[in-house]
Amino acid sequence: MKLKTSLPAALKYQAVVIESAAREAGLDFFDVIFEILDARDVNGIASYGGFPVRYPSWRFGMEYERLDKGYTWGFSKIYELVINNDPTYAYLVRSNSLLEQKLVMAHVFGHADFFKHNVWFAPTNRHMMETMADHATRIRRIMDVVGQERVERFLDLALSLETLIDPYQPLRDMGASTAERLNVPLSERARRSLDALTSSAIDEAERVVEPAAWEGQLPSYDLLGFLSEHAPLESWEREILHILRREAYYFAPQRMTKIMNEGWASFWHSRLLTGGLLDASEILDFADTHSGATSSSGGINPYKLGIELFRYAEERKEDIWLLRRAHNDVSLIDYLVDEEFCERCLRPMLMPPKRVMRMTPAGPEWSVEEGEKPPWTELKARVLRDLAWGGLPQIQLIGVDQKGDGELNLVHHHDGRDLQFEQTSATLNNLSEIWKGPAELMSLEEGEGRLLVSRDGEVSSLDSTEARDRCGSDSDAA
Amino acid sequence: MFRIESDRARFRDIVRGRIREDLRKYLSTGELIGRCGEQSVSIPLPQIELPHMVFGPNSKGGGEGGEGEGGEPREAGNGNGPPGPGAGEQEGKHILEVEVDIQELAEMLGEELGLPDIQPRGVNELDAEGGRYNGVRGTGPDSLRHFRRTYRSALKRSVASGLWDPSKPRVVPIRDDFRYRARRSCDTPDSSAVVFHMMDVSGSMGREQKEIVRIKAFWIDTWLRSQYRNLKVVYIVHDAVAKVVDQHTFFHLRESGGTKISSAYELCLKQMAEKYRPEDWNIYPFHYSDGDNWSARDTELCVSMLRDEILPRVNQFCYGQVKSAHGSGQFKKDLDNALGETENLITSGISERSDIPLSIRAFLGTGR
Repeated sequence: MKLKTSLPAALKYQAVVIESAAREAGLDFFDVIFEILDARDVNGIASYGGFPVRYPSWRFGMEYERLDKGYTWGFSKIYELVINNDPTYAYLVRSNSLLEQKLVMAHVFGHADFFKHNVWFAPTNRHMMETMADHATRIRRIMDVVGQERVERFLDLALSLETLIDPYQPLRDMGASTAERLNVPLSERARRSLDALTSSAIDEAERVVEPAAWEGQLPSYDLLGFLSEHAPLESWEREILHILRREAYYFAPQRMTKIMNEGWASFWHSRLLTGGLLDASEILDFADTHSGATSSSGGINPYKLGIELFRYAEERKEDIWLLRRAHNDVSLIDYLVDEEFCERCLRPMLMPPKRVMRMTPAGPEWSVEEGEKPPWTELKARVLRDLAWGGLPQIQLIGVDQKGDGELNLVHHHDGRDLQFEQTSATLNNLSEIWKGPAELMSLEEGEGRLLVSRDGEVSSLDSTEARDRCGSDSDAA
Repeated sequence: MFRIESDRARFRDIVRGRIREDLRKYLSTGELIGRCGEQSVSIPLPQIELPHMVFGPNSKGGGEGGEGEGGEPREAGNGNGPPGPGAGEQEGKHILEVEVDIQELAEMLGEELGLPDIQPRGVNELDAEGGRYNGVRGTGPDSLRHFRRTYRSALKRSVASGLWDPSKPRVVPIRDDFRYRARRSCDTPDSSAVVFHMMDVSGSMGREQKEIVRIKAFWIDTWLRSQYRNLKVVYIVHDAVAKVVDQHTFFHLRESGGTKISSAYELCLKQMAEKYRPEDWNIYPFHYSDGDNWSARDTELCVSMLRDEILPRVNQFCYGQVKSAHGSGQFKKDLDNALGETENLITSGISERSDIPLSIRAFLGTGR
């Protein structure tokens, strides 16, 4: 283990102790590097999605403003940040107590093991720390040449599409090219230098690349990928799209495994610390902090749901190591949750008993109100639906009009939840601006088929039977 | 975090641009009042987010009780969120509050309405002696002795005179070594201003009229505050009698009854005589009413009070007449007829909210 000198001796010692306990328990991870920072710096890094260097964007500044306010007013506090990277970086907050640091470190080793072994993280770039910095430099250079305003404007357009990717694609691709992947560390560098030599994006900033043919690629969920290949873009725009797409794919598995990831880390911080790493005097504080993290009040707390899932799996003599390797949130819940688990954990979390106060002659009186009780299968289905596709609407590019204006045809696979149409329209406008042509999206609104057409910056919304048939039948299939 | 600061600055720039764009809107709604602290205003800014394809209102699992924001894991952005009380920090609607300095808001207002800076009246430019202990000198009281500087000069002396012995590093200051903190006085030009907000709260002033007054008073305050370091505000309400009230009462009171405007002017004069003497203060009385007065005789009295006593003493007297359903609007006409050519009397009629910016400009556009 490499430790930055900034870690005080007491913590360094704890880190070593906890690491060896973690390894003994069977966790396996890349080197973990702890760094200790002031809360404000942690907020800064958190606003950058966990990285110390990102490209310039007001969006990060806004996130920072929000975190900083939350911290100043005591609404929220970040305990730790872990970066999926080799070595794995983890940031501790200086103001945490020793016990909190111990808990956080144990937690971090859980995450680190998860990053290394969960299959959804396998295709992610393990040198993202450098890559992010590289992206930042490239975008800064583009800004130097093209001008900040223009780049910022394009970034805003493109970032609004950042969710339009196919989270399953990297793993699929990896299956196809495992052999090639094994050589990554060497070829990665070579590829990067080659890229730098060949792209020379900035010199040719004005050149417009001819759109390539897209036969065989559609339908596709990977809209960012499609645009970065086929949209009529200047080469700096194309490069930015590539960069944003790479970053979006890097973050996608975290969205898909939030519950498992937090559950696994919580499972292990609890197991390791209560397995002999705590002083007697620390037990109460530990219990307090731990239950704070896993408390839930009317909503899914990923920490809570995750840890309960793994504990339940262990109870049922499942191989938790295999589970953490092979699943994502949706498949794990689908696999594990049965009636017993649902009644024990899911129902209290989703529908906590409602306490109501009634005034009686004797004074106010509290009682528990019986709400309706949907069957457990419905609860499970609801959770699965909410988590599917990383909690985002499933939007697919099904075709490009070949004869007319070359409009993009998108379809929203409706699962009972409507889109937020105002935002969707704005996003569609951004899409059509990048595509430099019209874009259409089929969806349902309150069961009626709806076709949104974005053309020249205006969105019109039309009734559409085709949309009803398409989206409706898809939702039945799903 | 040095890097994030530049992103933050950029964000704030964008926000400022936004506020500037929306300033007209804020000028005619009461939104900003009540968000105003000592130094800054916090402005809610919805929808500065980038749009994404997201689920709409019917996505909350059929909407049965208890699910709350459930199911949607917080954005995966920051690797792994906090374990701990902050864990479930899902937010629903994302309304961002941005703090803006009052000074800055006033600047925007000034730019938007093209307001000139106010020239304080010559006599009222006070030279206040400000001073800070940022100097050092050789004499002074013990309580101001500068320990470090004393020893430093003692050390210098002992080194220079060859008494310094590194193996026995002892320094004993003598009389000449002592240093004392000294006050450097500097004259800072200081001008003070007092604003009298006088409002007619008689039965005919309704909610809407009060709201207009409230918004106007807020912006006038904001502007004058940016012009004077030391601004006092006196709130006076009147129907048939006048009294001084605090800010909250001023904006929320709803009285009814007759109207005797002279009562307010009398009280204003009394305040000027007792507390805010014209030699020391820049004085800005504002009077808002719907223009109905008790009697023509009282109006005459008002006019003569204004002409003989108030106007000579103040920078500018502003009368804003809010149109109400019942008001005749006679008072403005009377004032205009009697004192129309007096330079430092401004009258302005407001018939609806969108007139507020114009009326503010009428009041403050003279730079007096």
